[in-house]
Amino acid sequence: MDLTFSPPLHKQRHQFVVDFVKRNKPKKVVDLGCGECTLLKMLKFHHEIELLVGVDVNGAKVKKRMHGLAPISTDYLEPSYDQLCVELYQGSVTQKDARFKGFDLVTSIELIEHLTPADVELFSEVVFGYMTPKMVIISTPNSEFNIFMPGVSCYRHSDHKFEWTRAEFRSWAMKVCLDYGYEVEFTGVGKAPQGQQEAVGFCTQIGVFYQLGGRDCCKTLLVNDAEDLFPYTLLYRVNYPSLCDNNILRRVLVSEVLYGAEKLKNRWMEEQADGICDAVALCQTEGGACAEEMKDLMEWSGASDSAEKQGSCTSCRIVAVPLDVLWSCCPKVSVLSGSLGNLKHLLMDEPNIKLSQDSSAVLINHWEQDQEEKEDDCNLDDSGYPEASLHSHSAEQEEDWEEND
Amino acid sequence: MTGRARARSRGRARGQETAAPGAVRTPLNLQLNNPLKKIIFPLHAALLQISAAFQQVKLGERSGRRRDFHDAGVNMRQAMEHVKESKCGVTGNPIQLTANFFRILSRPQWVLYQYHVDFKPQMELRRLRSALLFQHEETLGSAWSFNGALLFLPNRLHSKETVVCSETRNGEKVQITITLTNELPPSSPVCIQFYNIIFQRILRILNMQQIGRNYYSPSDPLNIPQHKLTIWPGYTTNILQYESCIMMCTDVSHKVLRSETVLDFMVNLRQQCGSQRFTEICEKELVGLIILTKYNNKTYRIDGIAWDHTPSNTFKRGDADTSFKNYYKSQYGLDITDENQVLLISYVKKMGPAGAPPPGPAMLIPELCYLTGLTDKMRADFSIMKDLSTHTRLTPEQREGRLNRFITNIQRNADAQAELDKWGLSFDKQLLNLAGRVLPVERIYQGSRSYDYNPWAADWAKEMRGLAVMSAPPLNNWLLFHTRRNGNEASSLLQTLSRVSGPLGIAMGKPVMIQYEDHQESLLAALRHSVGPQIEMVVVVLPNNRKDKYDSVKKFLCVDCPTPSQCVVVRTLSRPQALMTIATKIALQMACKMGGELWSVEIPLKQLMIVGIDCYHDTAAGKRSIGALVASLNQSMSRWFSKCVLQHKGQEIMDELKKTLSAALKEYLRFNGCLPSRIIVYRDGVGDGQLHSVVNYEVQQIMDSIKSMGQDYNPKLSVVVVKKRISSRFFAHINGKVSNPPPGTIVDAEVTRPEWYDFYIVSQAVRSGSVSPTHYNVVYDTSGLKPDHMQRLTYKLCHMYYNWQGIIRVPAPCQYAHKLAFLVGQSIHKEPNMKLDDQLFYL
Repeated sequence: MDLTFSPPLHKQRHQFVVDFVKRNKPKKVVDLGCGECTLLKMLKFHHEIELLVGVDVNGAKVKKRMHGLAPISTDYLEPSYDQLCVELYQGSVTQKDARFKGFDLVTSIELIEHLTPADVELFSEVVFGYMTPKMVIISTPNSEFNIFMPGVSCYRHSDHKFEWTRAEFRSWAMKVCLDYGYEVEFTGVGKAPQGQQEAVGFCTQIGVFYQLGGRDCCKTLLVNDAEDLFPYTLLYRVNYPSLCDNNILRRVLVSEVLYGAEKLKNRWMEEQADGICDAVALCQTEGGACAEEMKDLMEWSGASDSAEKQGSCTSCRIVAVPLDVLWSCCPKVSVLSGSLGNLKHLLMDEPNIKLSQDSSAVLINHWEQDQEEKEDDCNLDDSGYPEASLHSHSAEQEEDWEEND
Repeated sequence: MTGRARARSRGRARGQETAAPGAVRTPLNLQLNNPLKKIIFPLHAALLQISAAFQQVKLGERSGRRRDFHDAGVNMRQAMEHVKESKCGVTGNPIQLTANFFRILSRPQWVLYQYHVDFKPQMELRRLRSALLFQHEETLGSAWSFNGALLFLPNRLHSKETVVCSETRNGEKVQITITLTNELPPSSPVCIQFYNIIFQRILRILNMQQIGRNYYSPSDPLNIPQHKLTIWPGYTTNILQYESCIMMCTDVSHKVLRSETVLDFMVNLRQQCGSQRFTEICEKELVGLIILTKYNNKTYRIDGIAWDHTPSNTFKRGDADTSFKNYYKSQYGLDITDENQVLLISYVKKMGPAGAPPPGPAMLIPELCYLTGLTDKMRADFSIMKDLSTHTRLTPEQREGRLNRFITNIQRNADAQAELDKWGLSFDKQLLNLAGRVLPVERIYQGSRSYDYNPWAADWAKEMRGLAVMSAPPLNNWLLFHTRRNGNEASSLLQTLSRVSGPLGIAMGKPVMIQYEDHQESLLAALRHSVGPQIEMVVVVLPNNRKDKYDSVKKFLCVDCPTPSQCVVVRTLSRPQALMTIATKIALQMACKMGGELWSVEIPLKQLMIVGIDCYHDTAAGKRSIGALVASLNQSMSRWFSKCVLQHKGQEIMDELKKTLSAALKEYLRFNGCLPSRIIVYRDGVGDGQLHSVVNYEVQQIMDSIKSMGQDYNPKLSVVVVKKRISSRFFAHINGKVSNPPPGTIVDAEVTRPEWYDFYIVSQAVRSGSVSPTHYNVVYDTSGLKPDHMQRLTYKLCHMYYNWQGIIRVPAPCQYAHKLAFLVGQSIHKEPNMKLDDQLFYL
């Protein structure tokens, strides 16, 4: 009898964790034995998670895959308010590392069966006694299920040190709960063929542990504080760009302000050119709120310094876009800044933004220029045609390439 | 880099291994005849590349249809007797240059060991094979590269054949046999591809993001907020066997991204153009653009818009139907806020799992996609381009500085060094030094007069003043159209034209002034009414640079009623102080359009016909390409025969151009009373990886076309592939300052390719930024012309473009062909009337 699972069992295990995260919304998650970081890659999309950590004894394996956890291009383009920090460590789950205390969720997927019984003891102590997370998910093979797996003689994998029956897993779990103050629910993924689920159980058995009484009773945390150890090696750490970072918020806000101001300016210029009648029509179609305020745009004329420096015929006008118009016309600006006062405050010391003297308007340059100028030589004077130095043909010695062929 | 080239290169971007979920609608007809392709399930881009690259080598598949960007397999030089020994020229003053190349150094006696890996029982999934093999890391060592069948190691394993055992997740035992099949020397093609892969790993170590073929660093972006643009600085790199050694050519590259989603863009567009024309304009703007998605780091090309699909549509995922909305929510935690947005279609070039039908197009959600690059509309926007260039245009000094910093960063990064050391490789610490030559200034002839130009300016607008052009047909019967509003500008243009035309030797009579209403229809009606066969020239003053009016004028006067025409946007005439300059340009342009000849340079070859070919790819109109061929008709290279063909679906551009070449030869015969004894074809518009088809297909077509003129007609033929979009750069060091090499600089050693007869010329001068050399590759040559003469002739031809009083980047016929193809592709969309064939009506 051959059983294949769809989707494959390893995917089901990961999906189980993902679904659990969706329901319970932990902020800090660590995956013990993260290996190729597959589970972490799935978890990074869940906005509730702020700290996502992976640890594995095999550092080389992690290193090979860790770049897959880096923010992708678009994360930089439009940062959100979500905060996410990803950290990857090399280390053994039998050792205590102070950085791993205080997590909301610890997952250990198909890990414990690779440990010797002595190490399982250490593991229990490290995870439940030292790290003391609020929730723990532990999965391990159910040896009762092996009868459905024809190729399996002893263990499913040669590196497995043991495979537990449901009863064995249950007794270990109960002991852990008793020792460290947790309660446990048993479940699993990979159902047995019809009618045999009761007798055999899931292919992979899963225990979900919840800390009793929340974090308040973590006496161990206080006791061990004196001897903090950091045996794990940090391999990788990356902070995702987030609007909670003030610098990033500022940068995004400045971009939005300049974009909004440019758009308003262009619309205003167009209306100027086309005459008032058109302007009113345009504003009405695009949202009434702005229509009246548009008239408030002011303008200063005059050649700016930079235009003079260029020595070209460009003239530069300065257009003032009032902040309150911006605030009401650009939803993104208002969302980012929160209030008009805050907007003013945030833009005040911004080097890329010029404000009017009373800080009520953004000043932007308007370049009167057309494309041809780039090609035209503006510094030529057209007063007269200077004689070019002239030569006659005969002076040139004719060459003949044909002969050389 | 041109837009289309950029789109093309990105369109073929690697790493598109998984299609976004897609309703399988039209299965793509992908070639599945390649056994290795089926088993490749790339884990990440680098591995995909390795597999693709090796696959190519292994199967000898070098057609370059998709992969061989460097045209590495094309070797033409060996067939050309006269350049076997040397392909170097001699003329000119030597100049010391540096180039953006770094030598790759490997340990002495370095070899790469290639192993074949066999699994028993057979393992279907490549990913699984990889995992199984690397359970034996202690045997294999930490440096390895495996593509599913071939394993590459820097060290030799103990025995020729190694047998190990692995175990799958299900406990299945697998026997793996690793057999040494090859020892590859550092210069073997496989090794070269291999270096590129290693280097990409290093760029990843330096935290750079891959987009398309290049790597960019998103952590220090340049923002141009007024246009919602973000620029990421990055580098293009490729490692190749150059003339004497293996080098990495690296250049600074900038990626333009837009910090708005496709949905934002669509909403804005709808606001601007109204619902009625929205679908049409939207498709025109979006199709062909490359997008980045929010959830994976992949680029997709927009091939269409599914107007009847929304995020609520479903697709098959496993056995169940899932809606796009639910899929993105559950898979990536992404909420789709706009339920009514339509979806984007992208045809993903990807193999499905072995045996399964290939995947259909990917359907993408506009809200989750970001636009990259520039649209044509943005490219035409002066203020955007100006703001962009202030960020991206680097002086030679800045560019050289950045390249040096790049290499220093690699040298300083411990992880990067470790990766290189593992493989026994290292890079030179400095840019390559090499010698070039600067060709002497060409003398410009105008009738009985001649003059030299300032070699650094490469421009003779000043020298030309007050000198009569070689010849200009008299202009007696012509029309000037203007709107009522622009009456003043039109008459001042006319006044200035008559002032400047005399000294230029252009006899210009009084035109008939015609007023038109500012509507496209009334302009067209006015043209229909007034333009007849006796009219020699039509000048239209346009009130703005809106494309529709320009297009209708050109369409009418190029196709329906063949007459040379000149459009002037009124804004150009608005500055009195520049009017003289502008009127001079317009007068010269008008003269050429009627068949006038402005100047010439000495061409020491007789009975020579120069041909220029270029293509324009109209991405919007169903990717139809337009090919243009321009051929010289006289000794002074001042008269040209120009013809344009529209390529039909699934047809090679050369099939049509072949007929055009015959027509050009007949015209030459009519003009000169004999056929040319030499033909030199400059072929522009050849993309990366297309060289193969030029060499193997187009050259033959050209020869067939020549043969069709008569059995005993046997002219000498040269075919030169012209490439502008290259990443090679040269720097001169003049008075202790890094600067651009002067116009006329030739490089024909070190950074050329050993298997080609190729050279670089820096012909143009640039006022700001770094100059980009043009690469010339002589792919076929029975002329016996010395390399020196080939180089100099090419440089001379760069002087002959009548729309610019100076030296340009490519030989004039290429630029003419480009202009013609562009006009037809952008405005006319039809073959121009053959009555115009002998005139440069498209300038």
